[in-house]
Amino acid sequence: MKISLAWLKEFVEVPVEPARFGQDVTLVGLAVDTAETVGSDTIFELDITTNRPDCLNHAGVAREVSAIYGKPLRAPEFDLKECDRPASGIFSISITDVDLCARYCGRYIEGVKIGPSPDWLKQRLEALGVRSINNVADVTNYVMLELGQPLHAFDADTLQGRQIIVRRASIDEKITTLDGIERALNPSMLVIADANRPVALAGIMGGQDTEISGKTTNVLLESATFAPLSIRKTARTLGLATEASYRFERGADIEMARFACDRAAAMIQQLAAGTIYRGVIDTYPVTRRPVVVTLRRARIAAFLGSQVDDQIVERIFAKLGFRVDQADGGWSVEVPTFRVDVSREEDLLEEIARHHGFDKFAPTLPVWSGFGSGLPQYSREKSLRALLTGSGYSEIYGLSLSDDKIEHQFRPDVSLERLTNPLTEDASVLRASLLPGVLKAIQWNLNHGIRDLQFFEMGKVYKKGSERRELILAATGYLRQKSIQESTREFTFYDLKGDVEMILKAFDLEMTMEKTGVPSSYHPGRSARSGNMVKMGELHPDYTESFKVRQRVYVAEFDLDAVLESRDRRQLQPVPRFPSIRRDFSLLLDRSTRFSDVKAAIESAGIQELVEVGPFDRLETGPFPESRYSLAVSVVYQSSERTLTDIEVEQFDQQILHLLGQRLGAQLRS
Amino acid sequence: MASKTGIDQLRAIEEQFERDRACVVDLRSLEDIRTRYLSRKSGLITTQLQNLRELPSSERAEFGRVGNELKTRIEAAIETLQTTIAEQEKLSTLERERLDITLPGNRRRIGHHHPLTIVRNEIEEIFVSMGYTVEDGPEVENTYYNFEALNIPAGHPARDPKDTFYISDDLVLRTHTSPVQVRTMEKVQPPVRIICPGKVFRRDAADATHSPMFHQVEGLLVDEGITFSDLKGTLERFHREFFGKGTKTRLRPSFFPFTEPSAEVDVSCVFCGAAGCRICKNTGWIEVMGSGMVHPNLYSFVKYDPEKYTGFAFGGGIERYTMLKYNISDIQSFFQNDMRFLEQF
Repeated sequence: MKISLAWLKEFVEVPVEPARFGQDVTLVGLAVDTAETVGSDTIFELDITTNRPDCLNHAGVAREVSAIYGKPLRAPEFDLKECDRPASGIFSISITDVDLCARYCGRYIEGVKIGPSPDWLKQRLEALGVRSINNVADVTNYVMLELGQPLHAFDADTLQGRQIIVRRASIDEKITTLDGIERALNPSMLVIADANRPVALAGIMGGQDTEISGKTTNVLLESATFAPLSIRKTARTLGLATEASYRFERGADIEMARFACDRAAAMIQQLAAGTIYRGVIDTYPVTRRPVVVTLRRARIAAFLGSQVDDQIVERIFAKLGFRVDQADGGWSVEVPTFRVDVSREEDLLEEIARHHGFDKFAPTLPVWSGFGSGLPQYSREKSLRALLTGSGYSEIYGLSLSDDKIEHQFRPDVSLERLTNPLTEDASVLRASLLPGVLKAIQWNLNHGIRDLQFFEMGKVYKKGSERRELILAATGYLRQKSIQESTREFTFYDLKGDVEMILKAFDLEMTMEKTGVPSSYHPGRSARSGNMVKMGELHPDYTESFKVRQRVYVAEFDLDAVLESRDRRQLQPVPRFPSIRRDFSLLLDRSTRFSDVKAAIESAGIQELVEVGPFDRLETGPFPESRYSLAVSVVYQSSERTLTDIEVEQFDQQILHLLGQRLGAQLRS
Repeated sequence: MASKTGIDQLRAIEEQFERDRACVVDLRSLEDIRTRYLSRKSGLITTQLQNLRELPSSERAEFGRVGNELKTRIEAAIETLQTTIAEQEKLSTLERERLDITLPGNRRRIGHHHPLTIVRNEIEEIFVSMGYTVEDGPEVENTYYNFEALNIPAGHPARDPKDTFYISDDLVLRTHTSPVQVRTMEKVQPPVRIICPGKVFRRDAADATHSPMFHQVEGLLVDEGITFSDLKGTLERFHREFFGKGTKTRLRPSFFPFTEPSAEVDVSCVFCGAAGCRICKNTGWIEVMGSGMVHPNLYSFVKYDPEKYTGFAFGGGIERYTMLKYNISDIQSFFQNDMRFLEQF
């Protein structure tokens, strides 16, 4: 809402400079967005909150200002000259739907001369961003900006049957509004009709057929009160928001309708001549009963933190237009009709706090016994993050809103959670996996010349009716750049596997490597699953290609809550007291033999002293048949009771080699 | 004469030793002279002393004494040399091992925490230290919890589909984390002292200051005797902890459907120290939160007695706090995940 300081000063004295004025109104809740000097005036753009329609005009803001500075508030002065002929003799006004229109005031003015407005009026309107149209239309806008009451002027001679009926539209009725657009109406919409047809969209915009034109001589002036919800719905349905609808949606002052009608009639007469017929045709079926709220003195300190003097309380309410009467233990406060936001004691306490000043209430800390705590897995989550960053992974945040097709591609079996009103097509579903987000991050970095990346994200994934947290690791490019000290090294499947093992070990979880049940987004020969806890491997090139990522990407997806909720059941194993003995075997194996087969064969010997089996070298070619490869394996023996003898160790070796030969056809390379 | 000759020979050996000794440069040449003079079989001293019994008995004692003294001296000299040379050799080894310490260090790659995580954790820890418990809840939320129970009835403009993402008529992507407050109040009677951080969604097109997805942290305290002053004190304390001791907090009247009175929360500008700059638009203040005393209507939804209990609530954007803390100007940079951005944290 734009406010002219010069205009405001017609209603109240402002004893401070404009800059200070801006700060002062901000501190009572009329926040200044911008202040602009225009000639000798200052135009303030005030951010009026939706609960305060009474401040969407100069007189209303002046009321707040009068309370701030303790200055008297002046009402606009005007001289209304009526003729003897009664307006009610010319027009009749009836309200069919009283629930949607509580009051309708009309005035009839005969013989006006439509023409341009005088310069002062044009300038005043234009400074506030309102285009000048003609003297009558400008008066309606002026009075709205002055008093907050939206008004409408009809060319009275275009109204058929000399009557106004406020009713719901019927099915199939249409109206062409002032903006030249024909609009289809329905019974949820309130219209102003003459004897035959709708002539205005109530509280939103007038009709083209009945608007003031250069030929207009007789005017019917409307000043009414419409129900907020109905106006909002109609405005939204038609996509038509106006200064009038903006005010009615928030709530207009029912007691202002008649005064504004008089004020506008007097101004029209002053600027466009004409004869004002006697009386307001005031259709006000149910007089609004004032809201009275009890304010308990003790509640002030109990709610706000400190007591406020009775005189201050009473002065604040008086200045703001409330009627205060002392009552037992406090006051009985009558709320003025323009304050649609006040209906209970807390609302009155707010008025006291606002105008006494929020800064008058000293900051205190609540008294409390008890303790605070983080989310149940907070510390485990924090240590997991530390483990991941320590291992080279940087945390990213992907967007939860994603593209339908992409999500479907990565999770074809998931029923996606879909938005009914997406902002853009590529953000129409909630993500079902963290993969597209991490690929987007990789793509972004590749496009900026950064190709060696390790990322992780912890976040929710969604499917219809449920949401849960996942962790994703992703790595691509070099693990290590070439330096003087070391050569380049690509990140490999085994780096990823090692990181997965590390995480599971940190949370005392078992790693199983299953080849089945891995989604199609993974490389079929370089991926695995560990129960329902982890999916991991190199991504399938088709899937990285769709993000224009043309280098290998390694990914591990974890069920984050399952990882964090795991129980750590570790118990200390005694530290060995006797030395261990390591033996190395260089084996020739069939190509189809995997390390896990070798390990199983070795373990099948059932040697209690065997504590470790590990590969340390692999040769694909050499002085052996092409159908075979060489794998160097070390085993470690250790007894918890004694030092092993050479003879024992030799026996273990023979047992193992025998089983390897028998089960896998393994040969010892000489 | 023979004895004289014997002694003379010893003298000659000694002189020769003095010359040889000067030529010793390393452990090897030292070993050479050790062998030359002291070897059991062929050492010059050893062989001289073996000649002892061939001397006349009158000369034996004298020759033996001089010979043994010489042997002792040579042994001691060699011992000294040994120590000196070993020390020199160690020094020269260390010298040879000298590195170009100006070459860069080998660094293992270390990952980085996202700034939103850093700030969220920091906020959580401050409030936990003030006795708050952290709560969370679903992001796909029932309209009852997101709107109705927060005093935003059907038809209210805040529910407009142009601002809120709808899944269906009664499911939305939560527009704030306030539903967690309602869910918590439904479960427990006061005292309630919680904060609710998390993801929220608004139907705003992405630009430098808007994102359809962002993060909020909201707080709620309901107990007997809680006042507006307590709200002020709590926020002031939080901002001092978060932005630094000199930070001022200001509350200014505003409107939210779920609080009464409602207040916008400003902090003294963290960039100019409230002197006035571009970022605070020369006001010295920066808006960071919304807050207020819990609206009594909310208590009726969760069946609290509004006569017995009062409380306050507040909420702000984690992105906003992060942008202020680290001087980040574009909210999109949180979600682009550019390594050059991430590696600064």
